[in-house]
Formats: sequence, C-alpha cells, structure tokens
Amino acid sequence: MAKKSMKKALKDFWFGKPHSAEEGGRRLGELYEDKTGLYKHREWRGVKDTFYYMYMIWGYNYLHMVTDILKYSNNPLDFVKGTWRYRWMGQTYLPVIHWFDRGLQGMRGEALRASAWHYRAMVSASIQQICNFFNADTRLHKGKENEAFRHTILANETTCGTMFYPWMDAGYQYIPLEMIPYFVTCHVNSHTVLNYIDAVQSIGLPGDPCPMCQAESGLFVLDDVPDAAPFVITCNEACDASVATSTLQDWFINRPLFALPLPMQFDDPLVKKYCMNEIEECWKFIEEQTGEPFSWESMVKRLEKQNKLQRDEWEKWEVAGRTDYYPVNGVAQALFRIFSTQYGIQGDFWDEASEKVKKIMYKCVQKKINSFPQTRHRVIAWSCAPLYFSNWCTWAYNCWGLNVIINMDSLMFDMEVRTDTYEHMLEDVATYHMWAPMRRMAVGGMQHIFELWENMEKFNCDMVAMYDQLQCKGMQGVHGLFEDEFRKRNINAFWMPHALPDSRTVSRAEIRRQINDYMTTVMHEEPLDPSLLDFDDSMTW
Amino acid sequence: MKKIKCRIAKFFLKLLGIFVLANAAIFVVFFFDLDGKLMFNVVEPFLKKHYDNMERKDTLKTPYDMDKFPKYEYKN
Amino acid sequence: MKDLKHLIFFENLLQEANNDLVKQAKAEGKRAIGYTCYFMPEVLLDLPGCFSVRLRAPRCTSPDIATYYLSGRVCHYARSLLERALEGGYNFLDAQMATETCTATCRFQEHLQQKRLDSVEDMRIIDNDDFFCEFTDIPFKNTENSYQHFETQLRAHVLEPLHEHFGIDISDEAILKTIEAHNEVCRLINEIGEYRKLDNPTITGYEFHVIQLVSLACPKHLILPYLQETAKEMKTRKPDRKKGFRCKVVLAGSENDDPDFTKLVESCGALVVCDRYCYGAAESRIPIVVEEGKSPLRAIAEHYLKTSNCPRFMPQDEMRARKQRLADLAKEYNADGIIIASNKFCEYWSYERVIDTFILSRDFGLPVCSIEKEYINAASGQLRTRFQAFVESIEIKHIQEGK
Repeated sequence: MAKKSMKKALKDFWFGKPHSAEEGGRRLGELYEDKTGLYKHREWRGVKDTFYYMYMIWGYNYLHMVTDILKYSNNPLDFVKGTWRYRWMGQTYLPVIHWFDRGLQGMRGEALRASAWHYRAMVSASIQQICNFFNADTRLHKGKENEAFRHTILANETTCGTMFYPWMDAGYQYIPLEMIPYFVTCHVNSHTVLNYIDAVQSIGLPGDPCPMCQAESGLFVLDDVPDAAPFVITCNEACDASVATSTLQDWFINRPLFALPLPMQFDDPLVKKYCMNEIEECWKFIEEQTGEPFSWESMVKRLEKQNKLQRDEWEKWEVAGRTDYYPVNGVAQALFRIFSTQYGIQGDFWDEASEKVKKIMYKCVQKKINSFPQTRHRVIAWSCAPLYFSNWCTWAYNCWGLNVIINMDSLMFDMEVRTDTYEHMLEDVATYHMWAPMRRMAVGGMQHIFELWENMEKFNCDMVAMYDQLQCKGMQGVHGLFEDEFRKRNINAFWMPHALPDSRTVSRAEIRRQINDYMTTVMHEEPLDPSLLDFDDSMTW
Repeated sequence: MKKIKCRIAKFFLKLLGIFVLANAAIFVVFFFDLDGKLMFNVVEPFLKKHYDNMERKDTLKTPYDMDKFPKYEYKN
Repeated sequence: MKDLKHLIFFENLLQEANNDLVKQAKAEGKRAIGYTCYFMPEVLLDLPGCFSVRLRAPRCTSPDIATYYLSGRVCHYARSLLERALEGGYNFLDAQMATETCTATCRFQEHLQQKRLDSVEDMRIIDNDDFFCEFTDIPFKNTENSYQHFETQLRAHVLEPLHEHFGIDISDEAILKTIEAHNEVCRLINEIGEYRKLDNPTITGYEFHVIQLVSLACPKHLILPYLQETAKEMKTRKPDRKKGFRCKVVLAGSENDDPDFTKLVESCGALVVCDRYCYGAAESRIPIVVEEGKSPLRAIAEHYLKTSNCPRFMPQDEMRARKQRLADLAKEYNADGIIIASNKFCEYWSYERVIDTFILSRDFGLPVCSIEKEYINAASGQLRTRFQAFVESIEIKHIQEGK
C-alpha cells in the first residue's frame, strides 16, 4: 500500500496530478485562498510544466514587462509617472501575471505553451500602447505638446487599426483610445473599471446602457484619460451606446473629432460606395490634421502582414475544426483575435506569437497530441463574453471538460484585404471595417447572428455557450428566437448571463452556478474537478 | 596549479550555490504566489488609496463651445 | 377654454393603430405602410395608392410574449410594438418600411420580416399574404456623401419595392404631388402649433400632442379635413381668463406617442409649448422644400437628414448644434424650462439627456428637468413629484428674478 502511494506521489510529482474526478485527481479549487482568488500556492503541474511555467511564462513575462518598457518608452520615467497618474495603469499593470494564471490554470504541455504565446503577444502590444500613450501625454510633460503627441492618432477603440496604417511609415502611432484604460483592465483587474462606471452614473447616466460604453465615458468623467493627440477619430461600432458615448467624449476631449460612421446594412451592395467615401473622408481629415499625406506603401506593407495573420488563423481554425489537436484554449484564442484586430499591425509581436503557436500546433498534429484530453463537449461560445471572467473557458474545461473551440468575436473579421490596386484595397477595407472589430454578427440583419449553426458545424461543436450580456440590446432582442431555435434543433446550449465589465451585476460565482446547474440538471454529468464547482472568489482581480 | 584549480572549482561551486539559492528563492516566490499576495495586500490598496485621494479636474466644467469645431466635410 | 370640436374623435383614433380612418383608407383599396422612425420619410409612404402609419401600441402595459422574444431589458416601446403585432394588431399592414436606426426597434422589425433563411424560422407575425418588410440604411451624418447614399437607399428600398409590390406610381410628378399634400398637413399643424407661442396659449400641449399624433397615425388625405377644421376653429378660440399653468416648458427627448404623458406634465402646472421628441412636430412638420434643379427624392433625402435632431447623428458640429437648437426652441416658444425625457433602455437618449441637462442649464441658463420614463407611464406618482418640484423651482427662480 505504502509502495503504491509512494509510486503515485512520485508520479504526481513528475507529471502532476491527473485531471480526473476520481480520488487522487487534481483539485484546483483547493488552491485558492478564500475570496481573493490568490493561490495558497500555485499549481504543481509536474516537473516539466511547472518549471516551464515558472521560467518561460511567469519569469519571462515579468522580465519582458520591464524590457518592453525600455524598448517602447521614450523615457522610462514617464512610465512611472503614468503609473502614478492613472488608476487603470497602476491597478492593472502589476497583477498581469495573475491574468496569465487565471487563463492558463490547469493547462499542460502544448496547450500551456501555445496559449501562453497568445498572452505574451497581448502583453507586448499592451505595453507598447501604454508607452505610446505616456510618450505623448501632455499631462505627463507639463502640458507640452511634444513630437510624440504630434505623431499620435487617437481613435475610439472600436475603430479598426487598419484605418491608420497609411501614416505609420511616417512615424505615426495609432492608439485605440479606451483599449488599455478600459478593455484590457477589465480582463486583468476587474476592480478598476467599476470606478468609471460609477463616475458616469454619478452624473446622471442610467445604469441600463451597455456598461462598456458607460465605462468608456466614465474614464473621461474621472479625468483619467491621457491627452495624447491633437485630434480624435470616433466611429459607430458596435452599437447605439457607442454612438451616444461619442457625444459625452466629445465634450470632455474638446478637440477636433471626426466621426467615421459605417453603414448598418452591410450586406446591401449599395452601401459600399458610401462607406468607401466615408473612409476616404476620414483619411483626408487625418491628412489635414497631420499635414502628412496618405502613404500607399505604408498601407500595403501592414495590410500584407495583417493578411498573413489572417491566413495563419485560417490554418489554425482548420486544425481546430477538424481535429482534436488544436493547442490553444478558448480564452487565449478569443482575446488574441480581438486584441490584434483592434490594435492592428504595429509591431511583430502578433506574427511572432502566431508562428510559435503554429509550430506547436503542427507538432501536435504530427504527433497526434491531444492537448485537451478531457474534452467532453466541443463548445462554441456565441455573442459577447464577460470581460471580467473571460477565463471562464479555462474554468469550464477544468471543471466540466467543456472545451471552447471557437467564439463569435474571432469569426467577425475573417477576410483578407486585397492590395493589388487602391480601389480593391479601399473596397476591402470598407468591408473589413463594417465587420470588425465587434460588429459582423451584431448588426445588418439578424441573419448574421444566426450564423451560429454553420459555425457549429464547421468547428464540429456539440454545445453552445450563449453569452447573455444583460445590457446588450441587440442580443437581448434575439433572445426568444434563439430559445426557439435551440429547442427546435435539439441543441445543447446554456445561457451565461453577465454584464460585460461589471462583476457586481452578475458575479463569477453566479456564472459558474448557471453552468453547473445546466451540466447537472440537463446534461446529468459529474464534474471532472468537484473542487471547482463552488468557491468564493468575490474579491479577486 | 592544484590550488588554482581548487579556487576555480570553489568559485564555480559558489556560483552554482548562488544560482541554486536564487532559483530556490524565485521558486518560493513563484510557487507560493508571493508576488500576487504582495500586489493584492500591499501594492494595490496603497495605490487605490492614492488614486481615491488624488485631486482631479472637475470635468463638468469643460467648455462646450458651439462654434469651435467646423463641419468636417471633404468632397470625394 | 372651449373644447375642440374633434378632440374626442382624435382621441378615439389614437386608441388603436387600425383606427377608423385606417380602415376607411384600406377599404378604398389603399396600402397601409408602417414605419417607426423619423428617418423613414413618411412622405414617400403617402404616395398615391398607399398611406403611412407611424406605429404605436397604445395601452400596451404588459408585453408578455414580446418580453419572451426581446427580453425585459430592451425598451418598452419596441416590446409593446411586438406585443401588439403578435396580438394581430398590425395585420392591416401591407408593408413595414424598416430602419436600423435604433437597435430595439430594429430587432422588432426583424421579427416581422420574412427572411426565408435556413438558420432561423420566420414567425409570420403579420397575417397578411401581401406583407413585406424592407430595411433602409440610414446615414449618421449630414454631408453630401450621406445625401447621395440616402437618396440611393430610398429609391432602392422604399420606392422600388412599393412599385414592384403594389404598382405605386413613384415618378417625380407623383412625389412632388405628395410633397405638396404633406406640406399642407405640415402647414396646418404648424398653424395650430403657433398658438402655443402666445403669452396665454389657446391650445394645450396635450391637445397639440393628440393632433400631431393623428397626423402621423392616420391617412393624410382622410385626416386633412379635420385638421383644416381644427385650424379654423383655433382662429377664434379664446383662452381662459386665468392662466391654467404656472410655467411653460419644452418637452424634449426620445420616443413619445403617449398624450397622457403630456397631460401628466401639464397637470403639474407646466404647459408643454414645444415638442422636440421622436413623434413630435418640431422637426417632422417642417415643410419640404424642393429647390430648383433638385429631384424631389433628393430634396426629401436632404430634408430628413438636415432637419433631424436625433442623437444618432455623429458629426462633432451636429452633436453640439443640437443643444443650441434646443435652447433656440425654448426661446422661440417663450418656455421657462426644458423637460428632457428619455425612455428606459434608450441608449441614445440616456447619454443625450445627461449632456443636455448640464449644458442647457450651465451655458444657456435654462432650468432642466431630466427624467427617465417608460413607454406607457402607468405608475406616474414619482414623475408627478418630479414635475411638481420642477415647476416650483421655476417659480422660485421667477420670484428671485423679480418677474
């Protein structure tokens, strides 16, 4: 008996405990401290994976969080000043590694490695954005408008980065205005955003508009946005509240603001010309503001990189859809896509990460390595995800064997932009921007949101995780039809209520409870890791 | 010669010792989530307090000029 | 004041979307074309052979089935419309000219549309074999590119479908003739509305609201004689000797087709002298001018984009000019203050209301009462308290100013 348990202990030490409901299986829920979500100790993943995690993920990323600052910052002191000045910066930058922990929990082998590369690229892109912000911010430079300020193009975060490639060869940087202060913070430290939501409600905004837009406005109410560019571009993606947010932002920004609205009915061939004209008007506005002409070479150079990234993604989807060897987990897949599209090509980090992931993926295909061996259901996640619990996919796999293969956000912008002629490019950029980053399925007719079924088939999924963003009017407006279709098609689907960035409306524990209820009462399944069923992480980042 | 070799060996042993100790220390920080605990219990509360008490501009006083910005229209 | 001769008749017309005049027009063989938004030019839906009906769902307080489909977290207006449609209340419609101008009404209209897709089963809510629902893309700006786009869209998604489905004459001559008739309605409504500018107005906000609504919800050619008669009646209408109000206000904000809401405001002592909200007359009854050299369709496209004050409009100068226009209306109508009312869950107006509340009082010195309301205001106690307090605050201001 003792020999047997010794053998098991050694095996657990070497390989980590097995992912199993049986006795002796890993119990990840027991690692948490009560409420805070901090670890009593980090997970022992076996010798190889623990040390891989420690050196190549934990240590490597801590190190790069310093070296990236040195690489992208004009003056590292600005970074310190910015951290002191902006809440979203100080409260978010430091717990970044915990964001890795949450997303990569329980991952082993190739899944751990591949998913981490996606995270790495996102952190690098974020640091670059932060540095660009601080390099240009007049508030950190005694009100002085420096060269960096004059070479920054600020735009609403839902304007796709593609739009600004033509000025990058001339040294211009594009910063999606709210991407770091709002979007990234929600993932990394969900406490921060609550201040902004409260701030905008304190001036009279009701609590029911989309909380993303509330937070985006609240940043300005609290005066927590860098003054980093002489002008701003705004657009109407993705919804009514985004349009309305521009009104409040315009007041507080009080600088030239160009509106780049895109047609809603994007399937209609008649809207294309109008959209192309709008984009050209936007480019003329930038030319006027910067004094710098549109550069075709600069545009093409980056579009080709963007196209390559898209082709990489198609390759990955092919593997994800047809095999069990796709090594990227649900959260890493989703965030990488949305980060890269919003920010666009402004460095090599996306491409480098993509290449590394592809290499791991082909290794998995060749050696038939199933990185998610405990998969019970292949899940497609539809609609918009809870930002404060984007790592629910990781939890769902660990707890129930629900493997999120693909999600709606990733599929919104699956096209290449032609670069053979200016007209083709413009036409494709128009389509691309009408679709991306957050719009393809949300507007232009409900037929788009019901593309779910064909994607379910394409990615060979047998279950739907239906995000139920309580304040998203567009998605709420198709709620009943989805219920009808799920029933008619006999599809296993669970609803996940959430409030995008606001963890107070629907807590993580409540989301887990909803999934647990579905899995036990409808699917009659037992958890793979019962310790993850119910735990208190109400105070976690 | 033997003495030199011995010294070199000692130096490398010392180096190895430092390396092992440093790694052990890093491992302890990593494994027991000491970085997370420090951030959560010390750094974040400190920063929060700082941001909460920061003097901020009253943004509601921002001017709202009706004629400051022209109509941006560019003929294609 | 003496009661308006047709007021009860008008009020009755507003009890149902399929009212007596709609039935009469249908019996004449005309096609009923529904729409919800200002951006769908009603004038085009009034071409000979058809007539426009701006959809309402009066007395819908409990939209249960619609809440299943749209959830309880979208605006009550959209849910009420869907509920009424599901009840069969819009079966008289021959077409719905839809716009994706706000998400909630867009989703309502998508439910009506026969999409013939494999991915989602059509509900066939409107039990009428001729019925179709067509979407038009509406621009967000007031520029040459937008005018061209809007004109193209209106031709492709309004005129041509009307012609194809119902053989409607969509020639320039027909459009010009319809503009003329439309302008006559506008002239009458404006003439009636002018009396709100008097020191002691001879028409209440409630009465005007009812009159404006019937002009939107009934076939123009059938309501016109009643409007003419009312306009004539107004010429000799005498005000009460004692003013029946304590202050005058502009009522601005989102969708409002509930005259009882105006009545509620007025019962608290605030006379509504100007209506700048969706379904209001401030913009929708500005006559359409067809300049020489312009096609009537182009004139219509320009007119609706130029006259709209919808918070959906995004250009920076437009966003700011909206506040100025509201302040100008208050001045023009001698209003003492502004009530900004947004419907619950209306995202556009939630934001616009916030900024209006600050800017109009700070930069224009106008007292502002900022409220959130439901489509049908069954529970009015809280609102009554708010309005009473607002009226009192205006009176105190007047006393302080020595008025």
